[in-house]
Amino acid sequence: MRKTMVTLLGMMMLAALLLAACSNGGSAGGDAGGGAEPVGAGSGGANGSDAANGEGSDAGPAEKITISIYYPTPDREDDRKLEDDKIRRFTEQYPNVEVVKSDWQYSPNEIGIKMAANEAPTLFNTYATEGKFLAERGWAADITALFDDYAYKEQMNPILQEQFILDGKVYGIAQRGYVTGTVVNTKMLRERGAEVPPLDWTWDDLLTTAPAVADPGAGISGIAPMGKANDAGWNWTNFLFEAGGEIQAIEGGKVVAKFNSEAGAKALDFYKRLRWEANAIPQDWALDWGDAVGSFAQGRTAMVIAGPDGPVDQGLNQGGMSPDDIAVYPMPAMEAGGAHTGVLGGDYLVVNPNASPEEQEMAFRYATFDYFSDNFLTSLEANIQARKDDGKYFIPPVIEYFDMESAFGQKVKAVYDKFDNVYQYDPASIALMDGKPEAQFNTQDYYATMTNVIQEVFANENVDVQAQLDAAAQLVQTEFLDPIEVK
Amino acid sequence: MEHIAAEVRAQRASPGKSRMAGKLRRHFWGYAFLVPAIVVFALFLWMPIVKGMVYSLQHIDFVKGNTYVGLDNYRTVLSDPVAGKAVRNSLYYMALCLLIGFWVPIGFAIAISELRRFQGFARVAAYLPNVIPVVVLYGLWRWLYDPIGPFNALLMKLGLDQIAFLTNPSWSMIAIVIMETWQQFGSALLIYLAAVLTVPRDWYEAAEIDGAGVWQRIRHITLPSIRHLIVLMLLLQVIGTSQGFQSQLALLDGGPNNTTMTYALLINKYAFTRLDYGAASAMGVLMFVVLGLVAIVQYRWQAKEE
Repeated sequence: MRKTMVTLLGMMMLAALLLAACSNGGSAGGDAGGGAEPVGAGSGGANGSDAANGEGSDAGPAEKITISIYYPTPDREDDRKLEDDKIRRFTEQYPNVEVVKSDWQYSPNEIGIKMAANEAPTLFNTYATEGKFLAERGWAADITALFDDYAYKEQMNPILQEQFILDGKVYGIAQRGYVTGTVVNTKMLRERGAEVPPLDWTWDDLLTTAPAVADPGAGISGIAPMGKANDAGWNWTNFLFEAGGEIQAIEGGKVVAKFNSEAGAKALDFYKRLRWEANAIPQDWALDWGDAVGSFAQGRTAMVIAGPDGPVDQGLNQGGMSPDDIAVYPMPAMEAGGAHTGVLGGDYLVVNPNASPEEQEMAFRYATFDYFSDNFLTSLEANIQARKDDGKYFIPPVIEYFDMESAFGQKVKAVYDKFDNVYQYDPASIALMDGKPEAQFNTQDYYATMTNVIQEVFANENVDVQAQLDAAAQLVQTEFLDPIEVK
Repeated sequence: MEHIAAEVRAQRASPGKSRMAGKLRRHFWGYAFLVPAIVVFALFLWMPIVKGMVYSLQHIDFVKGNTYVGLDNYRTVLSDPVAGKAVRNSLYYMALCLLIGFWVPIGFAIAISELRRFQGFARVAAYLPNVIPVVVLYGLWRWLYDPIGPFNALLMKLGLDQIAFLTNPSWSMIAIVIMETWQQFGSALLIYLAAVLTVPRDWYEAAEIDGAGVWQRIRHITLPSIRHLIVLMLLLQVIGTSQGFQSQLALLDGGPNNTTMTYALLINKYAFTRLDYGAASAMGVLMFVVLGLVAIVQYRWQAKEE
């Protein structure tokens, strides 16, 4: 028995060593060869093409190719219909391109596996935080050449597009964006006798309004700051920014964690007061984006912090609220006269670097197929009409891929004005919003670390805020930021 | 000379060869039927185990290629303070599962075996939670644990304070174990019930004639009769719960502040949040070694008992 065990163990160790030796060189060589070439070749392909201008003036590739594209999930029926229509029109124009639908939604936890298994779609969606991460890992194609040839590149909204331009190279195409705000159920406030705060509100106003509307015994909270997953760190970062803090800074070629500053302590102390002084957050505060926004739509919390279109959509279309019951506020300023800073975020489309040059080009053309075109306006109108027929509201993005003041923006506005089921943001509120981009390096790791700190603040009344922040900053610094060398 | 040596070699080899061939011929279909199982095991069990060992010595980058880093991944894991906390959490979780969950199916199996009527219904009713999809399970128990859910409503009716079952660090792991016990005790119950029902009825009758009550019958007949099964189930539960992470991930994502961060969940976080597959593999190998030792203890114990 012992002999057999020893032999078996020995064989396993030997196999492990052999595989380690093989996979070292083999994998590195193979993967580098397979993965690096298309990126470079992709750019070459784009350079070689005269037609990568987004207008689709030619018939596309001579040979039959297949691209897989980001496709809405089954619950978004209207969006799926629009996408189907776009696929039909695109394949009519490019008959040699077969478009395969992929309803995989980007997740930072899944992208590694998708790229490793070469299963990521040719064109996939992502968020504003991910640009640097994807580019550094080699998981987003360098589409600079395609973008340079794009006829409407000057008209892309720079606030959004610039977040995916790194060191002069373009890694993504902006779709829509937002400045994080606070969505308020004003009806609930009025019914519970809480004063509706002014748009130019402050932390003190929030600290007065939230407990006034909360009823812990009935399971109703004043505000639901997210307390689970990376969403918690993301939510809190708004307060860090309002207090004038930074997540990180580049000093002497190194990235240095900065969120344990005085501003960070003020922001975290504000969370502590919201939880323990005001008792205004949900008792089961372990809520991620879906839980918190769902809680808002169900009327179990009066306020939620998010990109405004999400909670407004859920409140109106699922919670049965009326547009008069909801108000989009900017994030509260720390003090009167301060900036209403919120995290600037958005949705982007990224081209898979493992795709062939032709596939990359066609994916780019697909992404921009309807941009700045009458087709976009027709499709938008049909979408709003379909929602009207279903008794639903259309919630426009807070920031579009184009500038709303441009000629094209005015055409879009004209479409919106035709319908009464398009949610209209209060221009006074939008004017107060001050968008600040997220950190460039290891943002998700920072969020994950801060989530633990926030959970400690929500769970432990006697927590030492500064000590927690210092420990978190040290962890982020040593684990994630120290290995980075800024070029 | 060479010719003679070759003949001697052939003579020596042939009896073995023919014996092998004979064996193969006789048991051909037996071996043939083994092939699919061996292939499945090799592809989906043995190869991942060996690959995990390999990856634990490498920095994994599926796109740019892997690089050999020696024991760096092990150093990373062993110097991570959360790893220590995760080990303690896993041990706490395993202990809670034993304390709260282990005796439940035994108790129910014995109770159901004593039922004269509705035994079939009781079996189905007890097993039913096992077939609930986990998504529904988590939704249901979030509602049960809600600050205004049924449990808290009952507590408030009794004049007690609400309990934040999921977000109070003292309660979060307990809440998860209660939920899992409710869902999973049914399958263990069926196994125990089968064992209890094999105990000869005349033993009970003889005990009854001797004046033994229900508790004495359970203590002196039922429990000793299913002793081996109880120990086996105990070891299987220890191995099973040491790898637990699903509920912790789905309900609390390891929070509040890593209170429900189990070892297996941390492996998951290393792999899929930090995308550090090398460190995750190193954690997996360490776990493999520990669980392997537990399995050897179990095997030795079983062999000794037999």
